[in-house]
Amino acid sequence: MVDQGELRQKAKEVISREDVRRLIGWKRGTYGFEAAPAVIKDPSEADELVFDPTCVQNPASFVTLEEKPPLPRGVEPDLRKVGVFAKGCDSRALIQQMVEQAYERDHIVVIGIPCRGVIDHRKAEKLFGDVTPDLVEISGDKVVIEIGGEKREVAREDVLMAKCLRCRYPNPLISDVLVGGEVEKFADDDFSDVDEFEKKSPAEKWEFWEKEFSKCIRCYSCRNVCPMCYCPECVVTRLKPQWTRRSVDLSENTSYHIERSWHLAGRCIECMECERVCPMDIPIMTLNRKLTRDVKELFSYEPGTDVEASPLLTSYNPQDPEEYIM
Amino acid sequence: MADYVFQKEKIEELLGGMAKNYEVHAPLLNAGIVRFGKVEEGGPALAKLDDYSNSSVPPKELLFPQTETLFRYRLGTGGIEPKVPDAGAKVAVFGIRPCDAQAFAIVDKLFGWDYPDPYFQNRRKSTVLIGLACSSPCSTCFCTSLGGGPTNDEYLDVAMYDLGNEIYLKTVTEKGDELCKSISDLLEEASPSHLEACQNQSKEAASKIRRSIDTNGIPEKLPALYDNPFWEQFSDRCLGCGICTYLCPTCHCFDIQDEVEVFDGRRARMWDTCMFEEYTRHASGHNPRPTRKERTRNRVSHKYSYFPTNFGVIACVGCGRCIKYCPVNIDIIDILEKSIAVEVKEAG
Repeated sequence: MVDQGELRQKAKEVISREDVRRLIGWKRGTYGFEAAPAVIKDPSEADELVFDPTCVQNPASFVTLEEKPPLPRGVEPDLRKVGVFAKGCDSRALIQQMVEQAYERDHIVVIGIPCRGVIDHRKAEKLFGDVTPDLVEISGDKVVIEIGGEKREVAREDVLMAKCLRCRYPNPLISDVLVGGEVEKFADDDFSDVDEFEKKSPAEKWEFWEKEFSKCIRCYSCRNVCPMCYCPECVVTRLKPQWTRRSVDLSENTSYHIERSWHLAGRCIECMECERVCPMDIPIMTLNRKLTRDVKELFSYEPGTDVEASPLLTSYNPQDPEEYIM
Repeated sequence: MADYVFQKEKIEELLGGMAKNYEVHAPLLNAGIVRFGKVEEGGPALAKLDDYSNSSVPPKELLFPQTETLFRYRLGTGGIEPKVPDAGAKVAVFGIRPCDAQAFAIVDKLFGWDYPDPYFQNRRKSTVLIGLACSSPCSTCFCTSLGGGPTNDEYLDVAMYDLGNEIYLKTVTEKGDELCKSISDLLEEASPSHLEACQNQSKEAASKIRRSIDTNGIPEKLPALYDNPFWEQFSDRCLGCGICTYLCPTCHCFDIQDEVEVFDGRRARMWDTCMFEEYTRHASGHNPRPTRKERTRNRVSHKYSYFPTNFGVIACVGCGRCIKYCPVNIDIIDILEKSIAVEVKEAG
């Protein structure tokens, strides 16, 4: 368990720096199994910050989400740094954003926070109902959840997100400040979920996606929450010219989801935020996981692991497989 | 008005009976989520009545579909072919929650305002609402703060109570009476003990509502916060997605687009949301709501200030969907509570 006092102290030090203008972390939510992202601008707000397994959101998303509206004449933009908390997976998002030159390394101050897993609210609600826990912590190989004064221990796979069960990067890959000690890697990723899905015939796969995509309401929460979806104007919502219609039907929905997953090939760092936020429970990561494995197997490329790397699609290796070229 | 009971296990039979005279819509299990849709053979299975508190998508989509053809047109001789729904059709919506029915009464005002919208209004006229009282509200429900309640039957045509093995039915309007008469061979007479069980359920359900907001003074307060940095504490973490508005039973904004093929096309309207950047973007490129701060302010102010100013009623029924589905915990009750607490300096 991360010491909240240490976390707040280090956050306070970062936000007190003259060259830092905001800090992104987590605070208690108003209900349920998830914390709320917190954007603080003043040291006095640091006492709101928390870290525990309910801190699911990826703070990296809020670095690129910040809008830069036109400023009145004579007003200079505030170019000071942004402080950002990062779990292992979050740090991969930060790295990938920098690999793509979304911003420079000295734009951010990273407060790394080793993580042993975060709660999947769907799993937790299934087990415990529509309640708000008093305490959630990971103890050994169990997750301890206290509700209404009663402590319950459950297995990690019963309440943690799928990404955590195969997490190879529980420790932040970059950090300027570290909170707590490093933790041990939890598991390896054998892509058994992709193997399992690939057992389906093309017809079964199409039937599956037809059902899932027809549920989509195109709220674009999956796109907006994605730390890698930071284009100033998304091709899908572009009006002039309009590539994807605004009408919501199977055809346009399918086009949207395939477009998005292709644009994430070699870029998705598997934080699973897209799937977490989907109000229609569409298993979006099933698409991304397949691309992640292909990218890894074909090009030995793993996005968001090396700040010095080039983006996959801008790098060329004479050894790259090219069976698909006639 | 009359009351009846029927055995819960006979729901499908009952809906079958209804389908003889009505097009029946009910909560369906659709790849893991509960959503209202037309009951059809071979279609998605009916959701069990205790499978859902609130459907993921509100049943507003039955009267105001996310994408709707207004008319079709053809090059040359075809002219235009309007697609206005028939006001004389008979549609039954089974299992709608009291809050979602209350939302229709709010949206009625908008769609019947300066331009009576025949698409919405005709569907509304042809629809009979068979409501289902809530016995286990969500932790995010706050209907009792907005003139509703888990067993409120004011906006329903027929009210149903789930009493375990039996369902108690009470007709509220003539439309509802007519529907019950059409299936009377499938219904049994209710006894005073049923009525008593319902009354107990009403009390118990209302006591289970955990959240509330005192709306007094809010419509007057929000405009005073127009330029206040107050909104940033929420908009700083807003993703700018459409969840809160698309899943809101009273949000009613739409965009109109022409979809042109080679020789024909359609004019269609589809849900739009003030949370999207392009919603207020002018042709010049200027955007009067340039950031999520202005967009967050607009969503809350429209519901709790502009709409009540224009129509005399708050455009929120407390269904809690915007709270429940928001991925970043932007909680409208939290916003409203904090808005009341903000001190605003008098101008000058």
